[in-house]
Amino acid sequence: MRRSLILFGLLVGVGLVTLAWQWRPLGSPDWTEAEIAEMRSLTLASIASLPPDPSNAVADNQVAARLGQALFFDPRLSGTGGISCATCHQPARKFTDGRDKGQALGTSKRNTPSIVGTAYSPWLYWDGRRDSQWAQALSPLEDPAEHGGNRMAYVRLITSDAWYRDQYTNLFGDLPDVTDAARFPSRASPLGNDEEVEAWEAMRADDRKVVNEAFANMGKAIAAYERRLLHRESRFDRYVAAVTADSPSGDTGIFTTDEAHGLRLFLGEARCTECHNGPLLTNNEFHNNGVLAYPGDLPDEGRSEGLRKLRRDPFNCLGDFNDEDDPYCGELRFAREGVELVGSFRTASLRNLEGTEPYMHKGQLKTLAEVIDHYNRAPLAMIGHNESEFPLSLNRRQRQQLEAFLKTLDSPIAADDSWLKPPSRNTTVSIARGERDGSRQDR
Amino acid sequence: MTLVRAAALSLLLSAGFLPDAWAHGSVSNEDDLCAIQIGYYKAHFKIYLPRTRQHRDYCEDLPGTGESIFVMEYLHPGLGEIPVDFRIIRDTTGMGRFAQLEHVKALGDLEPLTVFYQPPSVKPDVFTVMHHFERPGEFIGIVTAVPDGGGEPYAAVFPFRVGFIGFGYWPIIALLVVGLQLNYLYMSGRFPFRKRARLSSVPTVLAAIACVLAGTLAVPNAASAESWTSAGGLYRLAVDPEPSSMGINRLHRWTLHLTDASGAPVSGAEFEVTGGMPEHNHGLPTQPVVTSEISPGTYRLEGMRFHMHGYWELRIRVAAEPGNDSILLELNLDPE
Repeated sequence: MRRSLILFGLLVGVGLVTLAWQWRPLGSPDWTEAEIAEMRSLTLASIASLPPDPSNAVADNQVAARLGQALFFDPRLSGTGGISCATCHQPARKFTDGRDKGQALGTSKRNTPSIVGTAYSPWLYWDGRRDSQWAQALSPLEDPAEHGGNRMAYVRLITSDAWYRDQYTNLFGDLPDVTDAARFPSRASPLGNDEEVEAWEAMRADDRKVVNEAFANMGKAIAAYERRLLHRESRFDRYVAAVTADSPSGDTGIFTTDEAHGLRLFLGEARCTECHNGPLLTNNEFHNNGVLAYPGDLPDEGRSEGLRKLRRDPFNCLGDFNDEDDPYCGELRFAREGVELVGSFRTASLRNLEGTEPYMHKGQLKTLAEVIDHYNRAPLAMIGHNESEFPLSLNRRQRQQLEAFLKTLDSPIAADDSWLKPPSRNTTVSIARGERDGSRQDR
Repeated sequence: MTLVRAAALSLLLSAGFLPDAWAHGSVSNEDDLCAIQIGYYKAHFKIYLPRTRQHRDYCEDLPGTGESIFVMEYLHPGLGEIPVDFRIIRDTTGMGRFAQLEHVKALGDLEPLTVFYQPPSVKPDVFTVMHHFERPGEFIGIVTAVPDGGGEPYAAVFPFRVGFIGFGYWPIIALLVVGLQLNYLYMSGRFPFRKRARLSSVPTVLAAIACVLAGTLAVPNAASAESWTSAGGLYRLAVDPEPSSMGINRLHRWTLHLTDASGAPVSGAEFEVTGGMPEHNHGLPTQPVVTSEISPGTYRLEGMRFHMHGYWELRIRVAAEPGNDSILLELNLDPE
């Protein structure tokens, strides 16, 4: 009897010691030189200057950016007159919408990504099916589940609105003369419904060309606006600046010890920087991380199908609407094919985590805790091969520390307030968000 | 008495350790890989119940009803180029898991038995199909593929049950009971055991020494005008990356200087570049290509990119007058 009591006591003792060890109070980590070099590479201080977009002649033009901003917030850029880019890309939510999948005219196929910082990415969309911000901006405009419009109608809108017409001609030259209804129908697009496709194919080749050019220019203006949506420093950036300025004690008062240990995990054991590297905490590459298929959907093939769509896009780098003579287009030309692309998606930037849940390409993981748990368990992928298939074996405290650290990455938008709402001239279309949400519920 | 007991025990034990090889029609489990054979095309096969069983995949019977996703990942790439259809019928053959193609054919018109049908389509990357099973039952899946060049379609047939629970943990419990019994027999001196040979410590020590040696071997840092010799000794390659500090997440180019064993520049060579990070089991993020020969023996390699720090291997195959050879570059990319 006594022997078994002693044994029992020993077991309980071992259990308590393990618990106590896991939750022991920690000081700030003593950063090694390698860790400091790595964390420095993750700060905005290390960011390269904004890469030029030679495919868009007005990319850095502020007048074009204001035009693009007006277009971005204009719900007339839709089939019903009620959907603007801002319907899903809501400025208050870092240009996302808080839903699993975007909800506009219909339900979009995937989670709405943030636009902030995408000027640095060679690829747009979760599957990288567009290779410039302006080519991407055109895509939802004609998607029946999103804006549900067609390019002919959009060109007519620009032509008929005096302010748009003025801005456009200042930047791009004359608009096409679309008054001849025989040559220019009211609705037409190669991507529309049967009627619109028929109308498009009935047009003359050079008429189609001028409509395409005007349509592309609308995208370029929108891109000029989106390029300005960049990040400001986060608490993490300030922490690293303090750590590297003083001695590497890590004890700067900017981070709690939990957050600092979370950073250490981020750099090391949790293996995050394998893909979440660079100042925007994304390598903008495509990785399969084994997320489960969305209920009711087949597993999403991601980049493998996305690359095919990119190659078919007439507005891609090698297409006719690139403003650069003889463009290099290295990303497109040397893009890799292969079985590794199956089920892979673009690494999301970790500077836009706050308030942008749910996460992953269809919002499958609802909270940061779920995301960390997913990587910790490292399940095998349903299709393709999960690159992060090594369980991390992080205990509960470590997972909490990692989550605390991730929250320090939140980076406010660098643009000033005037860029985060419809520009002043569009008084008729500046709808308060509450109203817009209400009107959607009636559908 | 002991003999009978031993026989019974070994039977029980072997029941717990049965090898995994079995077959359900055209689907078989070999080496822990569940594969389906469609003619001469082979694919990795699995079924998911994502809403109820999340990431668990099944090869045969499904433990429950509901949304199920069938996944075929091509082991033969040709499958991604030909039209493939998928049908699920209620199993009325009476053969259960022993149903074969001829039994299915004998059923005649499959339409009235069909619960799901996806017409032929070409799926270049992976074949996936979703069906919601309302009720448990016995079914047969039929996959047909029209081979390249036409002709008789190949068919694969796999019978399966939905809603079958399976043996669960009973074999483990049985093993535990057996183990306890064995222990009792041993303790009471009635079951002689042979003393287990102690593992020799020599192999372990040797392995440890080997690991230490491997770790101390210097691995070259980021390539900058360093040179490598090809595996067969035919060529030497020197590399100049542009920009000289490669970093990560940058599309950049390399200048290659190719010389033969005597040091003379080699003109007119053809290159094939592959590689990746072996520790992470993935390849290069781009497809780099040698686009031009700038001067005799000097080539421009474009489309280089690294998207992670760490250890990369690059394999450059060279075909030129001296012959075919390949060069292995081992690169360690550290944060700057």
